[in-house]
Amino acid sequence: MTGWLDVPRGWVDAFGEIARFGSRVAGLVYSGRVLRYFGESLRQAGILILGSALIIWAFVFILGLQCGVIGAYFNRSIGAPSLAGLFSAYCDLREGLPYAFGYILSAKVGTGIVAELGAMRISDEIDALEVMGIQPVTFLAATRLLGAWIAIPFLYLVGVGVAYFASYLAVVDQVGDVSSGGYLLIFWTYQDFIDVLFSLAKGMAMTTVIVLVGCYYGYTASGGPVGVGTATAKSMVVNIIMVHIIGMLGTLAFYGSNPRAPIGG
Amino acid sequence: MILTARTLVAAVRPPYPYGEELVSQFLFVLKLSWFPMTISTFALCLGAPGLQAAGILSLFGNLDRLGGFFVVTAVRFIGPIVTAAVVAGVAGTAITADLGARKIREELDALQVLGVDPIKNLVVPRFLALMVITGLLDIFAVVFGMSAGIAAELLYGQPLGGFFSTLFANALITDLAASVSMCSMFGAIIAVVCCYKGMTASGGPAGVGRAVNQAVVIAFMGVFAFLYVFTTVLLATNPELQAIR
Repeated sequence: MTGWLDVPRGWVDAFGEIARFGSRVAGLVYSGRVLRYFGESLRQAGILILGSALIIWAFVFILGLQCGVIGAYFNRSIGAPSLAGLFSAYCDLREGLPYAFGYILSAKVGTGIVAELGAMRISDEIDALEVMGIQPVTFLAATRLLGAWIAIPFLYLVGVGVAYFASYLAVVDQVGDVSSGGYLLIFWTYQDFIDVLFSLAKGMAMTTVIVLVGCYYGYTASGGPVGVGTATAKSMVVNIIMVHIIGMLGTLAFYGSNPRAPIGG
Repeated sequence: MILTARTLVAAVRPPYPYGEELVSQFLFVLKLSWFPMTISTFALCLGAPGLQAAGILSLFGNLDRLGGFFVVTAVRFIGPIVTAAVVAGVAGTAITADLGARKIREELDALQVLGVDPIKNLVVPRFLALMVITGLLDIFAVVFGMSAGIAAELLYGQPLGGFFSTLFANALITDLAASVSMCSMFGAIIAVVCCYKGMTASGGPAGVGRAVNQAVVIAFMGVFAFLYVFTTVLLATNPELQAIR
């Protein structure tokens, strides 16, 4: 039976291991040794796009709708419905999108990697790779990280567009307090290219952590079919906490001292 | 859907053999969720509504309005979202992994042979426990969200009186009740999805892992779709929520 302190203790335990494993994988990618398996990386990127893109965008679309509805009603309540664009610009780009992206990525991609690698580990395929003279960490983990780095920025930027479209639908067409032009004026005033870069930086940091956590738990899975399921569940715990912490640190670092809003002098 | 109906029927029809399992599941979920819950809510509320909104409000020089803003975001929006994400990600995956393991080891079939109904003895207690506990965890999410708001206010060097006065002026019972009932529905969605995926897991070692993967994706999508519908209906039908005092 699990005790009250098992989750935090396990989290602290796993954190060091994951950091070591993650730095090893990232080192393999940076040193270029992963390029020997560049084809495999491209294949992983392709799997990511074909398998996860629609789910990610659908999720982001719902978030955009939600941001729009909340923003529209909130701004109606303070008597400034025309400023709904401000709320949705902040909610979509700066905060909501990285979190939504982190959630769905850890759910779809992170647990997917654990299930896949865990099954390989259980059926001794990883040991077979080693016997064949292929470094399993490079071939399995580093290629996935590189594949994610190739594919995710584009998925993310399209996701930004999807969320914008959804917020527009919710504010202008569903609630309808503000005209299309009035909404878009405020909406584009309260963001610039730097904000997109900051948001992308948050999203990519989350992606990296999620892929590394997934690879770690898959790579070290043990205990038969049941073990794979348990490892998948454990990876979710770590991912959920990491996504929130990265989001908070990102906000503190990027906007903590400077709100970056075109108000006043 | 069929599992939902059968679960509901099994939950209300006597006899009720699931009391003990209900309590143990309740504690299990609580033990798993409390730590991710507190960290996540605090981090999310400090970052998103706390610092971003405080930045804008401090430009206008009315940081005391942050309390009113926190009612809108933390109670209506972020509390339920984080609760759902944590319960689906932590407890839901654990349930799927647990039931999937039993399915793979053919324990579920063995139960049926023994004349024990797996829905009544395994699904119903998890369903009820998740429904209750997701609603209760939402209150903790709101409390920790508020403490994050206080932290944001203190980071900007503001006295807390203004925060509390706008907070309590704007907090309505409707808000909290809606938030909690929404979270119980989230718990129901998560429980049904995760139990279904766990009980239909198949296909050797990869099967349980894949079941967990699909369960958490479907649970997230279902929860967010429901959240959108619920928020829209709530805000459109309760005009008193649309005024900031």
